[in-house]
Amino acid sequence: MDFYYSVLSLFYIKQQGSSIVLLDADVIFDSIKAHGQSDGRYRYDSDNSEPSTHAAGIALETLAGVLSLADSDMDQSKIEVVKNDIVKLFDSIKSYDDGTLYFDEKRIGDTEYRGPLATTASVVHGVTAFAAIVSGKLEINGDKMAGLAKFFLSIGIPGRTNDIYIQLESLSCLENNRISIPLILSFPAAVLSLSSKDRLKADVTTVFGSAAPPLTVNLVQVFSPDSEDVPILENKELQCDPENSIHYLDLLPLKVDVGKYILFFEISLHDPDHLNIYATGGRIKAFFFFTGIIKADKAAVGIFDTDAENAVALQKLDLSRDNTVSLAANHLKKMHLNFQLLTPLGHTFKPHQVFLKLRHESKVEHIFALESSAGKYKVLLDFLGLVEKFYYLSGRYDIKLAVGDAAMENSFLRAIGHIDLDLPQSPEKAAPPPPQPIDPYLRFVPKQEISHIFRAPEKRPPEELSSAFLVLTLLPLVGFLIGLLHLGVNLKGFPSSSVPVFCSILFHGGIGAILLLYVFFWLKLDLFTTLEALGLLGVFLIFVGHRTLSHHASTPTKLKTT
Amino acid sequence: MAKLALLFLFALPLLLSLTSLLPLHCNAFSVDRPTDRRLLVLVDDLAIRSSHSRFFSSLQARGYDLDLRHADDPGLALRRYGQYLYDGLILFSPSVQRFGGSLDLAAVLDFVDAGHDLILAADSSTSDLIREIATECGVDFDEDPAAMVIDHTSYAVSETEGDHTLIASDDFIKSDVILGDKKIEAPVLFRGIGHSLNTANSLVLKVLPASPAAYSANPLMKLSSPPSLTGSAISLVSIVQARNNARILITGSLDMFSNRFLKSGVQKAGRSIKHEKSGNEQFVTEISKWVFHERGHLKAVNVHHHKVGETNEPSMYRINDDLEYSVEIYEWSGSSWEPYVADDVQVQFYMMSPYVLKTLATDHKGLYSTSFKVPDVYGVFQFKVEHQKLGYTSLSLSKQIPVRPFRHNEYERFITTAFPYYGASFSTMVAFFIFSIVYLYNK
Repeated sequence: MDFYYSVLSLFYIKQQGSSIVLLDADVIFDSIKAHGQSDGRYRYDSDNSEPSTHAAGIALETLAGVLSLADSDMDQSKIEVVKNDIVKLFDSIKSYDDGTLYFDEKRIGDTEYRGPLATTASVVHGVTAFAAIVSGKLEINGDKMAGLAKFFLSIGIPGRTNDIYIQLESLSCLENNRISIPLILSFPAAVLSLSSKDRLKADVTTVFGSAAPPLTVNLVQVFSPDSEDVPILENKELQCDPENSIHYLDLLPLKVDVGKYILFFEISLHDPDHLNIYATGGRIKAFFFFTGIIKADKAAVGIFDTDAENAVALQKLDLSRDNTVSLAANHLKKMHLNFQLLTPLGHTFKPHQVFLKLRHESKVEHIFALESSAGKYKVLLDFLGLVEKFYYLSGRYDIKLAVGDAAMENSFLRAIGHIDLDLPQSPEKAAPPPPQPIDPYLRFVPKQEISHIFRAPEKRPPEELSSAFLVLTLLPLVGFLIGLLHLGVNLKGFPSSSVPVFCSILFHGGIGAILLLYVFFWLKLDLFTTLEALGLLGVFLIFVGHRTLSHHASTPTKLKTT
Repeated sequence: MAKLALLFLFALPLLLSLTSLLPLHCNAFSVDRPTDRRLLVLVDDLAIRSSHSRFFSSLQARGYDLDLRHADDPGLALRRYGQYLYDGLILFSPSVQRFGGSLDLAAVLDFVDAGHDLILAADSSTSDLIREIATECGVDFDEDPAAMVIDHTSYAVSETEGDHTLIASDDFIKSDVILGDKKIEAPVLFRGIGHSLNTANSLVLKVLPASPAAYSANPLMKLSSPPSLTGSAISLVSIVQARNNARILITGSLDMFSNRFLKSGVQKAGRSIKHEKSGNEQFVTEISKWVFHERGHLKAVNVHHHKVGETNEPSMYRINDDLEYSVEIYEWSGSSWEPYVADDVQVQFYMMSPYVLKTLATDHKGLYSTSFKVPDVYGVFQFKVEHQKLGYTSLSLSKQIPVRPFRHNEYERFITTAFPYYGASFSTMVAFFIFSIVYLYNK
């Protein structure tokens, strides 16, 4: 690695014009070469680092720098050894299926791995630098250079800045290299519409888009993917439009039908000397789609009985718009549908997708793939055999027909109509229809509000009734008072002397106080205070009452004698 | 002794500084800032760094720390010493057979079960491992390994791709939370495999279904039998919002995130409008904002309930009380908590079944409140708020409160129906008083 930096700095200085001569150039050459392996890879340093292809690229660049700085010619045999190493290095090239070639290394841990882009770029850089310095040809096939160019172009536009740098730097090395300049055949469109009369266009440029030398593009063979052995077309030359520098071919005179095709192209250079300079890439494979409008006509649908075949009962359908045919059947009948698909050239067409969809109201869907026979699509749905498949669901089924293909410009999904099917009841052991997903918008609906219904209070008699009974209960009291007055009671027995009067008043007052206490207890007092007060009053009343009653008992009464 | 004391003196500030460092380490995905911080991105080809660089740089511009590793890297780990090292996982490695390091199917599922987010992108070369992760999340990819989603009526018109596997789809789910409030005008480009949702799973949603004419099959071979996935049952992009609020995005097209799709223009088949830029960039940015909790994350704080007229929270209610319930709900806007405004947050007064269910009224500043009468059933009730809305995290709050019946002195005191009885006893008392006087002193 040290060599790389020092030699290249000297090389750049020399390019600026000063004359530098590297003494001991062959010693340096040999010591760099000593890092090499037999399979063409190099090691970075003389300590035990792993050999890598990336290091090989760097080493080749350094060797090229050494050669350009050397004063005398290097030993030619040493240069031949390096050339052989390069050939061996190219043996380890890897390829993708479409002819792209690249270099890659095994990943040992994450630290030293650089990825295929950086590795390939380093090799390209080194090899082209070496070829620029060395006289004579390097034995590398031009196709390999074309493959490497395709690798850099197939990345597209990388997102990271250092990947863009690597890609552009490598492409600029390939643009003007001395081994062979790759010519890229590109197609602005791989999907050509026969209905809008597109032309097959091809463009040949170098990797950076500059003009190619005069050449012709030949369409060597055209295959359809079904029959890979028999070519449909052979050997057509593309005409050249020098103003737009495009090669084109009109498709309509070729009478090619719609579909997917594999096309093989070859570039032939006009000037035979250019074969040494440019790499044409050999046989180039490309996939093309020729699309067109497919005519769907002669469509009809109808219901038949199991035994009879009644051609009158068919209803005509127009497959260019949605239809609303209404049919009804039970499990003993059959449904018949037929239609025809024709390409623009009049051949029968077999699209990739021909589905008949029957969808029940509960969203259970059944799909039938239709096959064509003798150019027509005909299907006879025998409901007797389909009863179990339909999960015994009776009801309305929507019928839709979906026809589509990559080569069809007018693929459609048309509603045919609906059919009311009457199927027998499902037996207990039949499988239930598959559950359908719940609509997400309905899943998150707020719940219904609930407000508690309180228990109705017990029914009470109306207030007037209670007031009436109140009056009724108070009536005996009134009656009692009236009765007392009637009897002519008097209060003559009330004592006259002071002490008994006092005691009597206190006695009756005490009784009244206790009764008032009861009223207060009923109104708001609690039992404890009431009992306290009652205790006090009761004791008081005992004494006072005793005095009063004993006084009363001691006064003589006239009742006993008479 | 003195030496020990000195040692302790020195150790103490060290311990304090260490403990102060620990909360910093957990700063990433905390309750206060729910947006993820550190993301682990696993790729199976390091070129994805370059081909998907716009998506990654947009994530980094929004403040995420991306750790991009190869899926085979032997140093991969999601947990260390019981703590999770990352808040989110992006799996852009559809063809990986086995993860490196300590990562495997169980580790990824544990990561999601712990509440972390996941973006999973598959491709036409999806391995069984990725399919199993998707199945565990409720999404089933098409079993045929060579199948791709083909749509002959809804493909993207292109001069180079002719087999109609490049689909332009614009049937988005209607949700401002998931896809942002700006409508995505251009269709989204998709190329890859389709998946169907498990119908028994109620947590998974279709964000972008395929059109009714789509089907999943191998484009290179003729169909021998009707495909198992057709029509709108095929989902191109799905999301899962788990009950622990982990969010998962699953899609069958890794190319949907690539620079090429993000930048290219699109024209849907059958339409004449040619959009300069596809809707991919807006779609992918908005949905990644949702997945990583920059949007649609709710928190509910300050649950209060009290009797009407009081302010303190009682420990028990009595039947037929009037009470008021209030809760504050905020929504995370990516940088701060904003008040959440909705009209369908409901509270339930619940004991075995909801007795009262009312919608909470909002003051548009995040406070939701309502008042109702306590039912006349006594027992131990719960205030339950269970709010689930499409795209938002689910709120599930519950507060227990007992409800007691009337005390003996809380009934009606004087009943008019009982007046005859009052009258009876008081009239008896009066009569007794009069009688005692009269009887004693009558002559």
